[in-house]
Amino acid sequence: MAEAVAVARIPVRARLSRDDLIMRGAMVVIGLLLLVVIVLPLYAMLSKSFETYRFRFDGIEFQVDRGDGWSETLNAEELADELGLLTPEQLVTSSGGRFQATRLFPDFSFRAPTLYRIRNREAGVAGFMFEGGPVAHGDWVELTSNQFRRVQIRPAKATGLGNYRAYFATPALFYSIYNSLFIAVTTTIIVIGLAFFYAYALTRTCMRWKGLFRAAALIPILAPSLLPAISLVYLFGNQGILKELLFGNTIYGPIGIVIGSAFWTFPHALMILVTALSLADARLYEAAQALRTSRLRTFLTVTLPGAKYGLISATFVVFTLVITDFGVPKVIGGQYNVLATDIYKQVIGQQNFQMGAVVSVVLLIPAVIAFVVDRLVQRRQVALLSARAVPLQPKPNRRIDALMTLYCGAVGVVIVGILGMAFYASLIRFWPYDLSFSLKNYNFDVMDGGGWEAYGNSIRMALYTAIFGTIIVFAGAYLVEKGRGFRLGRAAIQFLAILPMAVPGMVLGLAYIFFFNHPDNPLNFIYGSMAILVLCTITHFYTVSHLTAATALKQMDPEFEAVSASLKTPFYRTFARVTVPVCMPAILDVSIYLFVNAMTTVSAVVFLYSTDTMLASVAVLNMDDAGDIAPAAAMAMMIVYTSAAVRLAHAVLTRGLHRRTQAWRAR
Amino acid sequence: MSTTTRTLVREAPTAAAEGGAAPYLRIVDITKNFGDFTALDSVSIDIHDGEFVCFLGPSGCGKTTLLRAIAGLDIQTYGRIEQAGRDISALPPSERDFGIVFQSYALFPNLTVTRNVGYGLENRKLPRSDIAGRVRELLQLVGLEGQDDKYPAQLSGGQQQRVALARALATSPGLLLLDEPLSALDARVRVRLRHEIRQLQNRLGVTTIMVTHDQEEALTMADRIVVMNHGVIEQVGTPEEIYRSPATAFVADFIGTMNFAPGALVEDGLVRIGKISLACASDGFAAGDRVQVSIRPEDIVARDVRAGQPNAFVATVGHLEFLGSSVRVELAGADLGDAHLTASLSVNLMRELQLEPGHAVTVRVPAERIRLYAAARG
Repeated sequence: MAEAVAVARIPVRARLSRDDLIMRGAMVVIGLLLLVVIVLPLYAMLSKSFETYRFRFDGIEFQVDRGDGWSETLNAEELADELGLLTPEQLVTSSGGRFQATRLFPDFSFRAPTLYRIRNREAGVAGFMFEGGPVAHGDWVELTSNQFRRVQIRPAKATGLGNYRAYFATPALFYSIYNSLFIAVTTTIIVIGLAFFYAYALTRTCMRWKGLFRAAALIPILAPSLLPAISLVYLFGNQGILKELLFGNTIYGPIGIVIGSAFWTFPHALMILVTALSLADARLYEAAQALRTSRLRTFLTVTLPGAKYGLISATFVVFTLVITDFGVPKVIGGQYNVLATDIYKQVIGQQNFQMGAVVSVVLLIPAVIAFVVDRLVQRRQVALLSARAVPLQPKPNRRIDALMTLYCGAVGVVIVGILGMAFYASLIRFWPYDLSFSLKNYNFDVMDGGGWEAYGNSIRMALYTAIFGTIIVFAGAYLVEKGRGFRLGRAAIQFLAILPMAVPGMVLGLAYIFFFNHPDNPLNFIYGSMAILVLCTITHFYTVSHLTAATALKQMDPEFEAVSASLKTPFYRTFARVTVPVCMPAILDVSIYLFVNAMTTVSAVVFLYSTDTMLASVAVLNMDDAGDIAPAAAMAMMIVYTSAAVRLAHAVLTRGLHRRTQAWRAR
Repeated sequence: MSTTTRTLVREAPTAAAEGGAAPYLRIVDITKNFGDFTALDSVSIDIHDGEFVCFLGPSGCGKTTLLRAIAGLDIQTYGRIEQAGRDISALPPSERDFGIVFQSYALFPNLTVTRNVGYGLENRKLPRSDIAGRVRELLQLVGLEGQDDKYPAQLSGGQQQRVALARALATSPGLLLLDEPLSALDARVRVRLRHEIRQLQNRLGVTTIMVTHDQEEALTMADRIVVMNHGVIEQVGTPEEIYRSPATAFVADFIGTMNFAPGALVEDGLVRIGKISLACASDGFAAGDRVQVSIRPEDIVARDVRAGQPNAFVATVGHLEFLGSSVRVELAGADLGDAHLTASLSVNLMRELQLEPGHAVTVRVPAERIRLYAAARG
């Protein structure tokens, strides 16, 4: 026994089975993948935002020969100083900034027989360009005046807060923070108010046509966020049919952004609130009634606190969606700048990638705060869910039911109206002069913007995203939930899976440019391909998919893996024969979620498409930009038709699946 | 891990085997830590071939942790497990030899009864007809003929339990692990299945470990019971031993009902409770030690007791609690002084004696039924 005690103090090191090794291998693969698609691009973007470019005149020297031999060596900084060119406006630039060397010589004339010499003070630092290429050696380069006018001074790269300083020194830029917050807060208040009572009507009253109202409210999910903006142009724009309702205010600006944002975020808030309000415990209401509490007081003391977490969660979700959205403000924002459109303008308009990165970081801050708060709140809500409660059956109340029918009817009409307007506009020959019907707006091939090919690309992209995304997401969630040991690895994947939710689409897209377009990146080849669009879209919508899959996996008996190991059955067999079939509804949900979002998304991919991979949603944007609003509406409607058809197919499939598996799902 | 230490330990079973057959499963000094919490603290047991052993204890006592360590599902921090002479301490579950039934049964919901039972066989490249034959045989064994094509959700809890059992036995494992297999069932089904599982185990002769918190289950089913508390083994013994001679106050309290009365050892073989002294075994205590005197309610004899008999005393009847076939009688006062005892008397006897609250009654406790424990424990 004494011998055994001596041995026992050596910790047992569990030997790994083949299953464990395969699972760890898979975990490493998925972990690396997530690292490449989210962490490294974000890092690239962050470091880009700290990358500053400045003309370093002190590194360049000249000599001039005006026919009387070479002058003494002149330092460019001294020359610039004499000319008053050493101001921040002159010195601070972007990576593409160039400074013509001749500007340092006010007497320069390309016809003069003057000779110039230029050199870098330090060999290896390419301070100037000649004939298109940077010159890095430290020897004199001798040039005629005609050649000298093609010499350009390059900025030197440095790391620092310069970009941020420049950002906050430019009112036109930092004022967007205020605009973005104003839009997001206003929209959130409106949407949460509207959605709460809508959800209340759906869950707590005996109102009629609940199915219809629910369906109407979920319509916006099928459409890109560009669609409500386009509709609003038709409704309230300069030639809008309801223009008078604005009493002289313009729709191009905050009003339009708020209405458009409210339209497309409404279903997101509604779904959360419906869930929250469905969780009511009837016993609380019976107690309130037994104590003769008034309806209003019951509402304030029981209903509202019960839906508290749902309300907080919905608030942050809507806030994040609005502040990170690009589609609505792009189409209808007019001169009203918000952060998301600023990123686009800096990158696409001015090619100032560093400033784009700075705005991205600024936009990342509210998104991350909202994300953290939401996660904390959700954790608590889980505890609320597990409590055993008696489900509440709403009782008929004629006055309230009628009132709610009216209310939901009004909201429903607005939602359907906005969609209907886009639908109608897409079928009109020439708004507003010739209101006859025609399909000419759907003839995309005769218009700029990518044509039908863009639509085909979108379908392909959405299919790839749905297929590969579902596989990756489900495999990742499975490893996190069902892996044996290797806690650190599982926690790391879990964290990486949750991270994308905090990253706005615009930021992700820009981060992809920085990371994948870097010439030293071995993955550089996927830049401009379909693959990068698919990867970016999977990443953008990874978190919700992961959580859906993880929830389904959590509901499975935790001992399936133990049982199959005891029966010497490899895990992948049980995965294929039990896990996947049992989780099929969730798998379908994930794939449909990825498909529809891949069809409608514009924010991330707008930076990443190439001429060969133009997408339908980007085409909507570009056609709208070019003034082809009717075709833009038509293309947006194509996206709606497709999403709706796919959703319908999903519903049929799910029903079929349910019937087939009814026997074993019965409880 | 040096080879020398290993060989040293290997020799141990040979030495132990001299007394009889080598144990089928040797658990040597198992410790399991979860962070700072010690779930198992140096647990050692030998389990013999064909034995039915119950791990019994309150929730959180470490019994399931020990089972999971044996299965390799949560490998112990320290210690060694040997099965049929093979060191399996660090092996993953798939390389050990056991079948397991969980409390939840963990039946695959999308597979029929047949496929659930045949699940472990399908992986062994057996001919289809062999699998079908073996599955039929197993279903017959557990009494589930004719349910082949049903899904688990269409079966009752007891039937699901049998499917899980059949599935665990399908691959003819050397060791059957049952993790609270009956606790999810109705009381009636539970009693019937206890009997069936035990019979099945007898028939197959498979070494079985069952984890349970239900002492009745353990007492009726087990060859030996391992009583655990706070990660240590309190006692290992046959049901009779555990019940009759609990090794610790915890076991005495946990198994069955037990009276504990404060007392002191007057001299060797004589303990004082209240105003009386009772003859008993000293259990290693010395004169003057303060002890807890434990007496089972059913060991308090009231039939044909006269004053003056050994260990007879007078007590006042307190509250009566009618339990159907028996009555719990609270005894206090008179000879007992401040001490309280509860006796369990048959209804028959109660009628004979016509006991009412407030009556005085003379009772007796056989000396060999009194056990003493240290007083420190509550």
